[in-house]
Amino acid sequence: MSEQESDADARIGSRLQETDGHEELRDGHRNGDGEHGERARATGETLVEIDDLTKIYDPDGAHVTAVENLDLDIGDNEFVTVLGPSGCGKSTLMECIAGYLEPTDGEVLVNGDPVTGPDPSRGVVFQSNRLFPWKTIGQNARFGPQMRNAVDDDRIRELLDETGLSGFEDSYPHELSGGMQQRAELVRLLANDPDIMLMDEPFSGLDAMTKELMQEMLLDIWEEEDRTVLFITHDVAEAIFLADRVVVMTARPGQIKDVIDVDIDRPRDSSVLTSEAFNEYQERASELIHDEAERAMEQKQQETQEG
Amino acid sequence: MSTRERVLGVDRRRLLGREVPLPPRGVRRATSVVGFFVFWWAAVEYSFLDFGLFVGPIETLLAIYGYLLGDPVAGGDQSLYVHAVYSTYRVVAGVSIAALLAIPLGLLIGTSTRAGAGIEWNNYLSPAVESLRPIPPVAWVPASILLFPVVPVVGFPVNTAVLFVVFIGAFFPILVNTIEGVRDLDDEFRRAAQSLGAGDRQIFRHVIFPAALPSILTGVSLGIGLGWITVVAAEIVAGNYGLGYITFQAYRLLQTDIIAVGMVVIGALGYASSAVVQRIADRATPWSDIETT
Repeated sequence: MSEQESDADARIGSRLQETDGHEELRDGHRNGDGEHGERARATGETLVEIDDLTKIYDPDGAHVTAVENLDLDIGDNEFVTVLGPSGCGKSTLMECIAGYLEPTDGEVLVNGDPVTGPDPSRGVVFQSNRLFPWKTIGQNARFGPQMRNAVDDDRIRELLDETGLSGFEDSYPHELSGGMQQRAELVRLLANDPDIMLMDEPFSGLDAMTKELMQEMLLDIWEEEDRTVLFITHDVAEAIFLADRVVVMTARPGQIKDVIDVDIDRPRDSSVLTSEAFNEYQERASELIHDEAERAMEQKQQETQEG
Repeated sequence: MSTRERVLGVDRRRLLGREVPLPPRGVRRATSVVGFFVFWWAAVEYSFLDFGLFVGPIETLLAIYGYLLGDPVAGGDQSLYVHAVYSTYRVVAGVSIAALLAIPLGLLIGTSTRAGAGIEWNNYLSPAVESLRPIPPVAWVPASILLFPVVPVVGFPVNTAVLFVVFIGAFFPILVNTIEGVRDLDDEFRRAAQSLGAGDRQIFRHVIFPAALPSILTGVSLGIGLGWITVVAAEIVAGNYGLGYITFQAYRLLQTDIIAVGMVVIGALGYASSAVVQRIADRATPWSDIETT
């Protein structure tokens, strides 16, 4: 185990030196991992390329730099979590990839094409549940395909079944528990078959038990189908448990502080959470994020005083 | 549970330290109504203020019975039904026209308020809306009578002045609630729809309109309520038909039973129409508990 660990550490070290050595990161990451079982099904090809991204908000001349000169590549079928203190610009990063925001500088490429707006190939799950309250679970699940007149009832039934939601097609979201709503939103996303799932702290509103179950379910779904996930969180354990790679962000202006390769066998379940390797990753990530969280807090305090 | 047991901070089940059993639901509900009738009866009977000039509840009920059989009212030759139909039609027509104009206008203003939404209609329309809105609808009555004539429509005289006053009373609550309904929608719903592949029209149809619908229906419900207020006020001043007309005509002729009957019927129809709107709203928006008062 320790051998693998040091191996991983060595790779992270080389990554740190090579801030813009994307090529190397990908190759080093994917090769020679055979002994870890079917850990990553990533093809080694880049799906999302974030190039020198800067986003400045300028409401009433306030001039807030949310993200500054950020470079990040996300491989095809990779599961990447972005870990950062609150207000560090991680949501901004996601919104730029989703196409809701236009970068102030730099660009986001998906499959080599610049992002110009939202697209069904880039599905989004928000922090608050955004099922349409005026549509039933079934109608919500069908929404994406319905927009293209391509509803596949079998697939939707299958998805609802897998997530334990069959029988609730005719219920309205408010009639369901928080966990069920979150599952239904996942179904709505998957029914649309996106290449990349952008998830912005989707489980942060759930209780600890439900959260753990949702994480496992998400991993199950991800293992089954070819999909790339960018998952944003401020929860260190969640970030490590889910990810192939954890991208740790700095306080504002958001930049990448470090990238942690998570070398834990897949498929994973909650037993991983108590393993030694997991603890080591967690310690490492906590250390990295601690100072940033402090800085973010100071920033917040300062703003409150000024405002 | 708690609201029933605790009223104004007093535990109703424990009065003077003793357990007091709650009376049956039906009795609790009837108490206030019976109390009102008792007060009315006593006030007339014992000439409280000028109540001695007025009709009592029992005579009113008898009078209603007679008029429900079709007796002509208030010195005219029309039955209560004819007048009730006139008032109802004016409310329904005035509120409908208001809804047909205010809802699209509200959707337009509401959707164009966001940054980068094309023409900001809001900027063009809001000043007029904001300056006309504070005028109480009843204050429009005199001007309306001067501006809007009675025109025959398929043989029936249509008093457009009364219609206009009802219209203007219902227009603003519907407009304002529609605008608010659209504006209150969190932008993430729009974004979610976009990321699921919805275009602008689909977003309007599947997201913006249904999201605003409960608020729109609240506006319509408020509009109906204001419709009854304004129709009575307008009929008192203008026109030869309607419940407002007969109520005021009865005052002139000192037929106090008809004054009371008119008030009761107006109240009953107002109550019935808001119940109908509530029913429609519940059907149309099963996901939401909208308040319609």
